[in-house]
Amino acid sequence: MRIIVHNTKCQGHARCWAHAPDIFKLDDEGYILPGDIKVAEKDERLASQGARSCPERALVIDLTAAA
Amino acid sequence: MRKNQIASNPLPDHVPPEMVRDFSLFTSPGMAPTANGDPHAAVACVHDGPPIFYSPNNTRDGQGTWVITRAKDQRTVLQDTETFSSHRSIFASALGENWPMIPLELDPPAHGIFRSLLNPLFSPQRVTALEPAVRERAVALIDSIAAAGTSCDLMKEFAFPFAVNIFLRFLGLPDDRLTTFVGWGKNLFHGDVPKRLAAAQRIVAFIDELAALRRKVPGDDFMTFVVQAQVQGRPLSDEEVRGIGVLVFAAGLDTVATAIGFDLAYLARNQKDQEWLRSEPDRIVLAAEELLRAYPTVQIIRVATKDIDFEGAPIRKGDYVSCASMIANRDPAEFDCPNTINLAREHNRHTAFAYGPHRCLGSHLARREIVIGLEEWLARIPPFRIKEGTAPIAHGGHVFGIENLILDWS
Repeated sequence: MRIIVHNTKCQGHARCWAHAPDIFKLDDEGYILPGDIKVAEKDERLASQGARSCPERALVIDLTAAA
Repeated sequence: MRKNQIASNPLPDHVPPEMVRDFSLFTSPGMAPTANGDPHAAVACVHDGPPIFYSPNNTRDGQGTWVITRAKDQRTVLQDTETFSSHRSIFASALGENWPMIPLELDPPAHGIFRSLLNPLFSPQRVTALEPAVRERAVALIDSIAAAGTSCDLMKEFAFPFAVNIFLRFLGLPDDRLTTFVGWGKNLFHGDVPKRLAAAQRIVAFIDELAALRRKVPGDDFMTFVVQAQVQGRPLSDEEVRGIGVLVFAAGLDTVATAIGFDLAYLARNQKDQEWLRSEPDRIVLAAEELLRAYPTVQIIRVATKDIDFEGAPIRKGDYVSCASMIANRDPAEFDCPNTINLAREHNRHTAFAYGPHRCLGSHLARREIVIGLEEWLARIPPFRIKEGTAPIAHGGHVFGIENLILDWS
């Protein structure tokens, strides 16, 4: 699984980070670091929850990508 | 609505009469201060109607706004800062002046410059470091309440002293003026025009004085940071320092205290939920999100920068567009059973802190204060309820609020 990160939509709510700080890493301002996120199989549930918590819809879950 | 308001504020020609609805966050049923009122539930009635309509009297000075009811549409409006500007000098206009609170009333790209300056001070990582001091303050206040008896006026004795103290410390100010500041805030948000003017003047004078002091005698605090800061290789102007100081002052006074008040009023009236959190305090973090969804305090208003037809509404340049968080947070298209408060709700992308670039700068601090306040209250006060013979008074308006919340655990 992969999380597609739309950086321009991130407004620093940090809800993803609250769910999974090790998967969703923030910069010093509290906004998500650029770049899509490859998710290990064991982390998929947590990563999905984090992605689905984004109020801005900045995180898209891509199930087609192999970890 | 008073007659002279109607006369001074006729319906704009471009608004089709069939799009006008008799609804207002100020004058609709349940918005005036009401004993045992539930203003948040009262506004949910708009979801029986169209997704967008025109309210002829929906600001504190009686102006009309479009009202966006759906969360999805509020997200679109609040993300599109080119079409929907946030520059409307809401504070300065009380003084008959025109300068922005910063960064709230700046649009991109100027907004981003100041936001980048201030974001690190309010980041989730930074807030984690502030947590011990916040918890210590909550514990001290609650312990003294518990030692003094078996009931208290929650807003006066806990919610305001707790929330305002945290932000005074942040600004680098002593506690002894806490009551004065709360009074200014009350007049600013809820007072009539003369009171609002007087409060605004006092706040501006106070911020200007504080900035001058911190230029001469730097401390380890927010205002020192602001007066020493640089943007684009230059120091901030006096007006910019004032715009930032006033925003932090106004935003920190009322909102967190009010949220804690509504939350504890809910738990006082719902013993099962109170017990559910008390028995497993780890549930409070998730529950606090649901309480933020159910009891947000702020109506966000944007100004259209150009003519646009939005979901069938002819919005024209200069029109006000209201994105009330308490309305979007009860949108059935966004939330299952929106009028049911479910403390275990998982899918909860509420808009208590707004959407878009102006997402509440203090949201991470506010969240921690609310969670810590609830944790320490439940850990130190036995099962509590609304004191018999008393009735909390809740109101709608510019900023929703609750007063006279007397909790009892005798």
